[in-house]
Amino acid sequence: MAEEAIRIENVTKRFGDFTAVDHVDLSIAQGEFFSLLGPSGCGKTTTLRMLAGFEVPTEGRILLEGDPVEDVPPHQRNVNMVFQSYALFEHLDVQGNVAFGLKRKKVPKDQIATRVAEALELVDLSSRAAARPNELSGGQRQRVALARALVNRPRVLLLDEPLGALDLKLRRQMQIELKAIQREVGITFVYVTHDQEEALSMSDRIAVMSDGRVAQCGPPEEIYEHPREEFVAGFIGVSNLLEGRVEPGGKVRIGEDCLPVPGLDGAGDGDTIQIAVRPEKVAVDEIGGDAYAIEPDMFTVEGEIESKVYLGVGNQLTLKLAGGSRLVALEQATYRMRADEQWEIGQKVKVGWHPEHCMLLG
Amino acid sequence: MSEPFYKPRFLRVFTGLVYLYLFIPIFIVIVFSFNSEKSLQVMQGFSFRWYSDFFNDPTLMDSLLTSVQIAVLTMVISTIVGTALAIGLVRAHSGTAKGFNILMLVPLITPEIVAGISALLIFSQLGITLSIWTIVIAHITFSISYVTIVVRGRLATIGTEVEDAAQDLGASKWESVRLVLVPSLWPAIVAAGLLVFALSFDDFVLSFFTTGEDAQPLPVRIWSMIRFGVSPTINAVGTLMMVVSISAVALAVLVPRLFGRRESGVKVLTGAEE
Amino acid sequence: MTSKRFWDWFIFPGGIWIALLFAVPLCLVLALSFGHVDDFGRGVYGFTLDNYKDVFDPTYVPVLLRSVGYALATVILCLLIGYPVAYFIARHGGRYRYALLAALVIPFFVNYLVRTYAWVALLSDQGLVNNLLVDLGLAQEPIQFINTPFAVVGGLVYGYIIFMILPLYGSIERMDPSVIEAGKDLYGSPFRTFLHVTLPATQAGILAGCVLVFLPAVGDFVSAQLLGGPDTYMVGNLIQDQFFAASNWPFGSALTVIMMLFLAVWMVFYLRRASRGEAEVL
Repeated sequence: MAEEAIRIENVTKRFGDFTAVDHVDLSIAQGEFFSLLGPSGCGKTTTLRMLAGFEVPTEGRILLEGDPVEDVPPHQRNVNMVFQSYALFEHLDVQGNVAFGLKRKKVPKDQIATRVAEALELVDLSSRAAARPNELSGGQRQRVALARALVNRPRVLLLDEPLGALDLKLRRQMQIELKAIQREVGITFVYVTHDQEEALSMSDRIAVMSDGRVAQCGPPEEIYEHPREEFVAGFIGVSNLLEGRVEPGGKVRIGEDCLPVPGLDGAGDGDTIQIAVRPEKVAVDEIGGDAYAIEPDMFTVEGEIESKVYLGVGNQLTLKLAGGSRLVALEQATYRMRADEQWEIGQKVKVGWHPEHCMLLG
Repeated sequence: MSEPFYKPRFLRVFTGLVYLYLFIPIFIVIVFSFNSEKSLQVMQGFSFRWYSDFFNDPTLMDSLLTSVQIAVLTMVISTIVGTALAIGLVRAHSGTAKGFNILMLVPLITPEIVAGISALLIFSQLGITLSIWTIVIAHITFSISYVTIVVRGRLATIGTEVEDAAQDLGASKWESVRLVLVPSLWPAIVAAGLLVFALSFDDFVLSFFTTGEDAQPLPVRIWSMIRFGVSPTINAVGTLMMVVSISAVALAVLVPRLFGRRESGVKVLTGAEE
Repeated sequence: MTSKRFWDWFIFPGGIWIALLFAVPLCLVLALSFGHVDDFGRGVYGFTLDNYKDVFDPTYVPVLLRSVGYALATVILCLLIGYPVAYFIARHGGRYRYALLAALVIPFFVNYLVRTYAWVALLSDQGLVNNLLVDLGLAQEPIQFINTPFAVVGGLVYGYIIFMILPLYGSIERMDPSVIEAGKDLYGSPFRTFLHVTLPATQAGILAGCVLVFLPAVGDFVSAQLLGGPDTYMVGNLIQDQFFAASNWPFGSALTVIMMLFLAVWMVFYLRRASRGEAEVL
């Protein structure tokens, strides 16, 4: 049995002049929850469809469990898909929908009944087996689509933005359920989404895509804390992007400020470089007051509060630094803060962050 | 301001008059079909005699049977062929498909007399004697276009995702069409079939040119009756035919409801989105 | 991959049928129009233009012109009568809209022949209309209705008006009502609003309706036969004669070709507009 569930080997897909997928090369392991994340048009759905067999790569090849699948049509692949709009068969009831794949494979009748019951149990829909799709709610339809795919015991499950049509609360709930189901069933999930929070919370690994290529691929923490490109830093979470010049001693000059940035060995002195800092990593304190947020080994500069947005959980502050650059800080109102502390516009403050939270971008 | 009220009132009256104009002849037809005397101008008494004449007249009954046979055959064949054509045209993205898309509209806007003559010519050229079969063939030719249009309209609102899902679950392309696409098109197919039945049953000009020695369909018989001697039997026949045609179309509108789906038959027939 | 050919199999039966049993026969008509009649009275293929010369003979030209004229009159009348009705149902029909439409369509379920014949009964010299007029003292003696151009055009209007009203209805219904409100603000009078806003907005329906009435009306022979006489002969009657009574198929074919060419211009016009979405598609 091959180690990898899926191998996408340098695959390119063109539609006429348009390149939808550009030299994508990925390996997905057995039992992994792997997400393809990116904005609309980045090629993630096309990649998924190539895995399912609805599109054929223009260049490169795809291997499922070590076997190349160029000549294998969708109905012969051991892969099942949950579609964005669920694509339920309206003329069949829930039972009929879920049993469909099993009937195609000529599974004996009694086995079909058992397996369908199991699948419905898994998605918590046993009570609605005789219902018709048009009688179900959005969340229920989604679960039928899931059961219908899982009942066939595929090696890989492909999911195309399955939670997009659900409201926020339901989506959060389904995310947890999906993750639990994946762990329970143990099969490989390839999950397409444009919602980075969703990808971060559910995935074992994420491939961030843009304009048909993979910008970065890795576990969620790595993608979030160490983005390698401006695009990734901007797409995942929010980032402060700063441009500066490399100076001797591992420092970067941004405006009038000079920050120590670890890991600068590659860049030459005088080069322009992009760094990013996450807003939640930026600490803000009153000048002359007690140090609540700023920690001893942080790099600090002086700045002024330009604007403030109250978020309930905390404040989003836009700061103008002494050197001229702007920074957004996300400050959570924790138990350590004084209850009556209020930021004022124009207030002079001390701003700081840990040097290792500087992200170097390509 | 009196203007908003002015407009509807004038329109309402006008529309009412038009409806009157449309229905008066129908009224005449129906009422005089029950006339006890032969006159088509003066109503003398109530009677079913023209209806019983109709049912007791072997030639007329023959014609009725012929019309029904033709309509049924036309309905069955043109529905199958037309549905396949609609599916093919919408799913194929080739040049042939685009060409046929236009070609298929032409029978609908060609005057029936032209269709009749060309049918007559090809049958005579091929040495085929005119008979009930030539009528059926001629009817099928225009019916295919009607079926294709109705089914195509419905097909446009169904995406390909459902067929993809079927294939993903193990159905071959053909199976996905048979097991998933056709069932979802069923209301449109039935509606188209009934529509075509009504059109065929009622058709005159095309039948006129392709009728042979054996039994003539009802409308052709009516033409002979009008040319050579009229009696209120025509009205009885007309009324009965009207009932049959209305029933067929009413079914076409109601059948989608009967399938338990919440779609209006009118919407199915006209392909409107829900 | 087999995918490209797969769908072609679906197209072939219908496509071949229409090609063989519609397109090819039309070509036959064209071919025969260049033929002549042999000694036995049968149509024979040939290469003569005699039939076309005959078509433009002074005896027949009036028939051709008359057909176009009647058809044109029919279209105009259908438009004038049909537009207000369609407008009323679409904009003021409310929840009775579908019932009104259904009621509108019912008369057309009576066979065209029977319907038209009912008008004969109504309009003949001993018909109901004349009886009524004489009884009410509005006329000294029966007025000649039958066998006049008015009767024929009237029959045509009655026969085809539904094909004008339905596309008009569709087009008016699809129109955004707020456009009319905006128009009222801009143009003031309801008449000018109608002219500058409503009419252009329903152009697609008007076009479709005109084409759907004009095309069959030109070739119609039933109305002229039942409601008219030799003076109101239309090209349809002429053609029908050639294929049955006079038995001059080549000449009949030539007449048909001329008629088709004339109509083809409008057909192409309509099809192009329809594919561009500027005319309602059937």
